[in-house]
Amino acid sequence: MSNESKSLAAKSGKLDAKRIGDLLVNNALIIIMLVVAGYVAVTQPSFLSPRSLINLLTLTAAYLPVALGIAGCIVLTGTDLSAGRAVGITACISASLLQAADAANKMWPNIGTLPIPLVIVIVVALGALIGAFNGFFVAKFKLHPFIVTLATQLILYTVLLLYVQAGNNNGMAISGLDAGYRNFVVGNPPLLTFPDGQGGQLQIPNFVIYAVLLTALMWFIWNKTTFGKNMFALGANEEAAKVSGVNVLGTTIAVFALAGAMYGWAGFIESARIASNTANTGLNYELDAIAACVIGGVSFVGGIGKISGIVIGVIMLRLIFVALPLVGMDQNLQYAIKGGIILFACALDMRKYLVKK
Amino acid sequence: MRKILALTLALAMSISLVACGGTDASSSQAASSEAASSQAAGSEAAGSEAAGSEAAGSEADAAATSDLRVDVFYYNFADIYISTVRASMDEQLKAMGIEPNNWDAAGSQPTQSDQVNTAITAGSDLLIVNIVETSTSDPAKDIVEAARSANIPVIFFNREVADNDVINSYEKCAFVGTNAPDAGHMQGEMIGNYLLENYDAVDLNGDGTISYVMFKGQEGNAEAEARTQYAVEDADAILTGAGKPALAYYDPNAATKYLVDTAGNWSAQAANDYMVSLLGSYNEDSGNMIELIICNNDGMAEGAIAALQNVGYNNGEGTTIIPVFGVDATDSAKALIKAGNMTGSIKQDAVGMASTILTLVQNVQSGAELMANTDQYTVDSDVAKIRVPYAMYDASSAD
Repeated sequence: MSNESKSLAAKSGKLDAKRIGDLLVNNALIIIMLVVAGYVAVTQPSFLSPRSLINLLTLTAAYLPVALGIAGCIVLTGTDLSAGRAVGITACISASLLQAADAANKMWPNIGTLPIPLVIVIVVALGALIGAFNGFFVAKFKLHPFIVTLATQLILYTVLLLYVQAGNNNGMAISGLDAGYRNFVVGNPPLLTFPDGQGGQLQIPNFVIYAVLLTALMWFIWNKTTFGKNMFALGANEEAAKVSGVNVLGTTIAVFALAGAMYGWAGFIESARIASNTANTGLNYELDAIAACVIGGVSFVGGIGKISGIVIGVIMLRLIFVALPLVGMDQNLQYAIKGGIILFACALDMRKYLVKK
Repeated sequence: MRKILALTLALAMSISLVACGGTDASSSQAASSEAASSQAAGSEAAGSEAAGSEAAGSEADAAATSDLRVDVFYYNFADIYISTVRASMDEQLKAMGIEPNNWDAAGSQPTQSDQVNTAITAGSDLLIVNIVETSTSDPAKDIVEAARSANIPVIFFNREVADNDVINSYEKCAFVGTNAPDAGHMQGEMIGNYLLENYDAVDLNGDGTISYVMFKGQEGNAEAEARTQYAVEDADAILTGAGKPALAYYDPNAATKYLVDTAGNWSAQAANDYMVSLLGSYNEDSGNMIELIICNNDGMAEGAIAALQNVGYNNGEGTTIIPVFGVDATDSAKALIKAGNMTGSIKQDAVGMASTILTLVQNVQSGAELMANTDQYTVDSDVAKIRVPYAMYDASSAD
């Protein structure tokens, strides 16, 4: 081998090391996640049991819709603090419209049990309306979404408090749900029922399938539609987007409305999943969702984010939820660890951004 | 090169940090074992019998750490009373050689339901659940179903599962708690009797009636409802029975005769916020000072007292004391009562609650029926619910 080729080889070797380093940093969260999962699996082999993995899967599916919705707001360099209350109100409305006909303290005794598709349309539309309201104030009056959605959050809480006291309910939890409704959400198709090898059954609930479909839909909207492209353009640079003919008002309202529709769907699912809905339902869901998004690389800088990242973010948070107690970690520490991961993820994210700049 | 240097430095720093952490832990361990030994010495002095049982306990501890996996789900770590139950549960379970897994639902039923399912998949042998949602039994029902499919026992405690059918639907299911309305009745009785003895002192404006405010912990919670209702009703019954007028709510036009923590957290902060704003328009200068404060729990009572202290009330000798009543007799409330800044509370026996639960845990550990060995307790006739009695607590109470 000549000297020249040797130095070339050395150079390429160096390049490779650098590339590997970058690869490690850019995927640090996934690596950490795998390390954590590996550690938990070694100390607690039951973590890898099918039942436990399905548990992680269902938890992820439950918290995914809100994160998918809120991510759009973050891409627009905004946020949405009203998500939790929007989930709360849509959950309470879903529950009240789908109480079994013979439920004790039935909230609206005169309407019976409405058809499920109708209720879905109602709550998703209501969610979208709440989102559009947010988007309108953000785009029209150039208010920061933090302020607008903080206001909406408070307004929605009043609506929620009034709603749970309406009808025959008197502030009680709304429960006694129709069996068909609960089955629609937490029931499971025979296709997704497996024997667990010990005579029992492993069941994957319906809402996991819905979450998968929803993720696919969002991926399509973000990546394959003009609206999605406009959203990223607007998030990355509003002036540039405006000059190139993006309708700022329309796009902003649509992004928030889409987020709202997701909260409506989440409310519909949560309502049946938990089977008891109060004014506290949905409280702080937005914080978990925002955390999941930023962990998954949806940047507050704007115009950056991937659906796959959001899914990873949600899995990561649920992994903390499931894994820490499994390895006997003190529950008091859970919040600090969550905080640490959020900080670390965002720092990593900004580092990438600064390098680009 | 500089990068490598920086990296090494960072590494060295983190290692030293870990090392510090290590020494910290060991020193605190030493401290705690010291405390334990001095405690043991104390109990020895107090009575050889107690010391003996303790020694036996630690012997068993050394002999066999149980491999029973016990998961305890608390509705909210932030709740003062629940924290005392937790401390006492942890201590007693550890004495049995069981290291409990504690879970914090932070006041959210969805979180708790997820935690229960997670614990079951982790191979839990026993679920001890302080359920978040009390106004309906549906979440409890789901938990019972989950426990049944995993064939493990479930013990609910403190926050009652109202629907007896849910408890009865599974033979390995029980509830340990108080009989909710009793706290309200007892608080009412205490208030009535206190007022009869101190009527003129309490009636600050001398109009012959006592104006009061009621702080309710949560809307739709069975215990809160009962306490809110019976505390006033029973006090009124005692007052009118002695020829005095009934209590008068501070605002006769109010739609509800209570102020509720809208977040449903029974929080001191909520009571404090209410009290501070009330004191702005209701005070001695206007002759309409609130003369009695009834709270659903001690946390709210403390919040109200803090607001009173800001404006010079309830601050020990020489200040006007507005009688404040709570429920739970938490340690901090007891201190306030002993100092004369709070008037009374209803004691929920945290240690008794924990030891009752422990009886059931022992049954599970030894493979006996869940409800075996419970003859000395008050058990409902038609359902596996063990009632831990309440007791009144005022300045004259022991401890």
